[in-house]
Amino acid sequence: MKAIKRRIRSVGSTRQITKAMELVASSKLRKAKSRAEQARPYFNELYKTMCEIASANTDFSTIYTIKREVKHKLFIVVAGDRGLAGGYNSNILKMAAAAHKDDAEKPKIIAIGKKAGEYFAKRDYDVVASYANIAEDIKPNTAQDIADIAINMFANGEVDEVYVFYTMFVSSMSQQPESMRVLPMDTVQLEDYGTMEYDPSPEAVFNRIVPRFTASLIQCAVVESYASEQGARRTAMENATDNADAMTENLSLLYNRARQASITTEIIDIVSGASAQE
Amino acid sequence: MTPFRLQIITPEKTVFDGETEQVIVRTTVGDVGILKGHEPYCAALGIGQMRIMKDGEFRRAATSGGIIKVSKEMTTILVQTCEWSDEIDVERASAAKAAAEERIKAAKSDKDLLLADAKLKRALNRIDTSNFK
Repeated sequence: MKAIKRRIRSVGSTRQITKAMELVASSKLRKAKSRAEQARPYFNELYKTMCEIASANTDFSTIYTIKREVKHKLFIVVAGDRGLAGGYNSNILKMAAAAHKDDAEKPKIIAIGKKAGEYFAKRDYDVVASYANIAEDIKPNTAQDIADIAINMFANGEVDEVYVFYTMFVSSMSQQPESMRVLPMDTVQLEDYGTMEYDPSPEAVFNRIVPRFTASLIQCAVVESYASEQGARRTAMENATDNADAMTENLSLLYNRARQASITTEIIDIVSGASAQE
Repeated sequence: MTPFRLQIITPEKTVFDGETEQVIVRTTVGDVGILKGHEPYCAALGIGQMRIMKDGEFRRAATSGGIIKVSKEMTTILVQTCEWSDEIDVERASAAKAAAEERIKAAKSDKDLLLADAKLKRALNRIDTSNFK
């Protein structure tokens, strides 16, 4: 009986923690969601402009759009800084690992989030750069730094393709790991692009946009992943809290039964003792 | 002057979305002014000041790198950062300027120098812009 009582108390205190984490995650989720929404217009507008330039100038080409034979790849992987977020970290890391299993060579890695850094460092990847604790409040400058590393490596020919792995925020309940090729760039041929004068030239404007666009893409990926992380954590903690409730209920039932049984035995003892004296 | 619609967007948020009478921005090739009815135009922006006119008065902002896009319906300015002159933290800008100067002195490679130089330009631009209130 004492043991059951102790179990109940320990489950109760775990529940308190999971409940608190659930509440923290849901308030962070709200903030992260609005950040993700605010980051989108910039990204969309840049992408549209690049597509317009590419559509209006079919004969133009820059190193950022030309496809080369792929020998080396760079993966930018966005994961969380902390665990206890359900499958959030393992899903995205597994996806990144699965994405190169047919390649002759392991990709180079830029890890965003402590969990990603630890994962790839432990498995002997060539980790070019690793960033921890930046996801909650990522600044455009940080995103630009990361983008510059990737663009430099691509321009030097160190890598031939750059991918971003991030977790798309579908809804508070569902998050989807995704990958996307950043370089070389894909542009969509637009139907209606109009004529525009580019100053000084379409190529120059395009090449100026590429670093901004890459940075913005990374910024969006990080913000989106962060919202997903909070969503995943909230769901995981909600389940944990529910489980704790169910466990407490079962344990109290057990406890009460045991208590009743012990009272019954006591009464039988007393009654049989009394009847023996008669 | 006839007003037209202007949007200023940074990676973090939409800074401005409304009517303006005139915009002057610093492109990579020089200052360009935009009035209503400008032909479709697109240019890269450098580090510099941006001025937008509202009710006959200019409001200034320090911007760093981006593009401006003028289309028939509206003008869009996409910049890395955009700080209005009355919002600039002068102390922080001065600290950034000092730090950048240190880095220029300590720079070992051309790349370091380039980065530090860009940092210094941004800080100076912010300080300059904050003088117009």
